[in-house]
Amino acid sequence: MSAPRVLVIIPALNEQESLPATLAELHALAPQMDALVVDDGSRDATARVARERGAPVLRHAVNLGVGGALQSGFRWAVEHGYDVGVQLDADGQHDPAFLGALVEPLAAGRCDVSIGSRYLRRTGYRAPVARRLGMVLFSHLVSAVLRRRITDTTSGFRAYSRAVMEVCQQDFPRDFPDAPLLITLGRRGFRFEEVPVEMRERRAGRSFYTLGRSLYYPYKCLLASLMALLKRPAQL
Amino acid sequence: MTFLSRTQVIMAIGAVLLVLYVLDLVRRRKLSEEYSLLWVICTVLVATLGFSTPLLTWITRALGMMGASSTVFAFGIGFSLAMLLHLSVKLSRLGQDNHALTRELALLRSELEDLRRGGGPAGAPAERG
Repeated sequence: MSAPRVLVIIPALNEQESLPATLAELHALAPQMDALVVDDGSRDATARVARERGAPVLRHAVNLGVGGALQSGFRWAVEHGYDVGVQLDADGQHDPAFLGALVEPLAAGRCDVSIGSRYLRRTGYRAPVARRLGMVLFSHLVSAVLRRRITDTTSGFRAYSRAVMEVCQQDFPRDFPDAPLLITLGRRGFRFEEVPVEMRERRAGRSFYTLGRSLYYPYKCLLASLMALLKRPAQL
Repeated sequence: MTFLSRTQVIMAIGAVLLVLYVLDLVRRRKLSEEYSLLWVICTVLVATLGFSTPLLTWITRALGMMGASSTVFAFGIGFSLAMLLHLSVKLSRLGQDNHALTRELALLRSELEDLRRGGGPAGAPAERG
């Protein structure tokens, strides 16, 4: 595949503060890639801010979560003939400088999903202990299931091939775009590759993951991972 | 049938009221026929158990329960659990439909905006500022 058409999908919930800088940076560092903002039911001016900067916007009437935003973005990408869809956080945690490296394994046809990993190389990123514990757990779980070492299962900085984006329209672990999604895709025989990236602190706004959710999350994610393993694959 | 005990009279009144209320809910279009049928059948079932002393004693003995009232309660609780599970399934289904509709709506909306703007397919890189 020579120079695939890449769509950068930016799920955004109440990100009017950080979105302008993210879009500007994206345009500066990856001008050959198009951007799509998926406004996941924001109550602020996220959609307007994005449109003013010329980015097409999908707007969810109610909040569906990152997974739903990603699914909508995938559908739009497929319908508009893109070869690769990349998830990029609106809050500036993902550095567009890594976009080229992230897309490269897909462009070379070596894999169907490439994952930007914080742990492949020693980086500056430091997570709280509890969170690191959960990350190690899921990393082992996913690695065991896929028979392939995945160091960063919670990374949202990923690139997906068109085939994967098509499958995700029918078979997608709702609410769980991380470990369970990898397992679901792995069971379908899609190949993964990790690319070392560095992540930054968020610019502004609030994270999707609040305290309550950070306790509930590991339980829900573990259950969803097991279900992803046991579920009958959806008929395509 | 022998004399009805006081409990059985109370149960009878309760069951009749419940069935009437369920039918009234359907009449006022607050409850779909599908659910009303479930409720009516289950009410009749539990009420029958309460009335027919021979049937109740037979089931109680067959299940090895301590008392006849436990059997009625057991059936009542069993029915409640089944109904709750059924509702959870329905709710999950509703959630999925809602999810799909919201996404569909977002895509249609963006397509409509593209058409209104008179532009071609929005896949063509939008001018950025």
